[in-house]
Amino acid sequence: MHALDFDYMLGLVPILLGYLPLTLAMAAAGMACALVLACLLAIVRVTRIPGLNAVALLFISFFRGTPLLVQLFLFYYGLPQVLTFLVAINGITATILGLTLHFSAYMAESIRAAIVGIDRSQTEAALSIGMTRAQLMRRIVLPQATRVATPTLMNYFIDMIKSTSLAFTLGVTELMGATQKEAAGSFLYFEAFLVVAVIYWIVVEALSWVQKWLEQRLNRAYQR
Amino acid sequence: MPKRPSQILPWRRTALALALTSLSAMTAQADTLRVGMSGSYYPFTYVEQDKLKGFEVDLMNAIGEITGDDVEFVTASFSGLAGMLDSRRIDTIANQITITPERQEKYLFSEPYVYDGAQIVVRKGNDAIHGVEDLKGKTVAVNLGSNYEQLLNELPYADDITIKTYDSNIEQDVALGRADAFVMDRVSASQVIKDKPLPLQLAGQPFSKIENAYPFRDDEAGEALRNRINDALAQLRDSGKLSELSQKWFGNDITQP
Repeated sequence: MHALDFDYMLGLVPILLGYLPLTLAMAAAGMACALVLACLLAIVRVTRIPGLNAVALLFISFFRGTPLLVQLFLFYYGLPQVLTFLVAINGITATILGLTLHFSAYMAESIRAAIVGIDRSQTEAALSIGMTRAQLMRRIVLPQATRVATPTLMNYFIDMIKSTSLAFTLGVTELMGATQKEAAGSFLYFEAFLVVAVIYWIVVEALSWVQKWLEQRLNRAYQR
Repeated sequence: MPKRPSQILPWRRTALALALTSLSAMTAQADTLRVGMSGSYYPFTYVEQDKLKGFEVDLMNAIGEITGDDVEFVTASFSGLAGMLDSRRIDTIANQITITPERQEKYLFSEPYVYDGAQIVVRKGNDAIHGVEDLKGKTVAVNLGSNYEQLLNELPYADDITIKTYDSNIEQDVALGRADAFVMDRVSASQVIKDKPLPLQLAGQPFSKIENAYPFRDDEAGEALRNRINDALAQLRDSGKLSELSQKWFGNDITQP
């Protein structure tokens, strides 16, 4: 085997970092949309709104039950053949949409679990002192559920960042796509993929620090 | 991040796309020729220092100069390119697309601009494979969606060959010994061996003639575009520019039948 080409690796770092903002932006946009959708799904599931509950169940079942890559291909290449106006969706939008739908299905379940996990006696206590259902949710259940769900949701965010590497199959040159193309030009696969692995790793590690800080903040009420 | 225009531009476009979501895609002008390529097929299309290069890039730019079209290159995984053409996100593919009867049923093709052969490549020192007959009982790597998979499947002893399809990096897996051989066009195979630090060697002579051209959607607009590009190709062929580009990238003329 050849020795590692460090000059090549160093030269690659600034080039690849140029694609990091796009990777992060797609993940952040996907996360924001997925959180909203997941909360809606979780509320439907918890309150068992007739009709909607069945739709939510079907949604979660499909998007959790099929690979993200299949969903991306289905939306980006498959659907426009049937519904031609969907061609207007570009690769970046399709990626964000795919991430949103896919991850909201997972996140809805962990948010639901966090809500259901709050002891029933608290609900009874809140209702007995005359709180409305909405007040109960806002003041008692959701603040506690947020704390419980945060670590899992951060996990999904980390997974989402890494999942953006599928976007090159939709013609979006993000971090991984840029690396693949550079590796194809140099044939220094080990070097190129090592550099990109370290970049992903550092980003995720930085996020773990944010997670730690966030958890500490949410835990303040429990510390004496 | 170095503030070179080539890097800022795509990012701006991204910001715009994020803000306007789908709107930006609908504003594609008519005189923009959107050309899909993998960006990962050395030396036809590849990236070095963040710059898209290669024979396909040079040739398409030369064609654009004649037709007056603004050439916009769109890179995507090879497996995504046909889908992009079908879903009207690109107008043609410049990625050594080989003309096959099946593809001709679906797409219109320009005149061929590269004449080549299918070449077997093995790990350096592997002298057990000299030709396509020796692939019996072996594991052979091909690119997903490429016509080489079909070529191998049409062999009378296809059942004895284990075909592994890859999205990319077939050269690497043969160099690592995970597959016994890969099949690629002779031109880029020779180029890979010449230029890159991978332990590979050609095995025998090319076993099938192939003609590569640009595919277009089979409709009126596609036909008009095909004719326009055929005219430009003929001009480049007559002026010697086509051969010149081939000499520049390959050291010989691969554009003649």
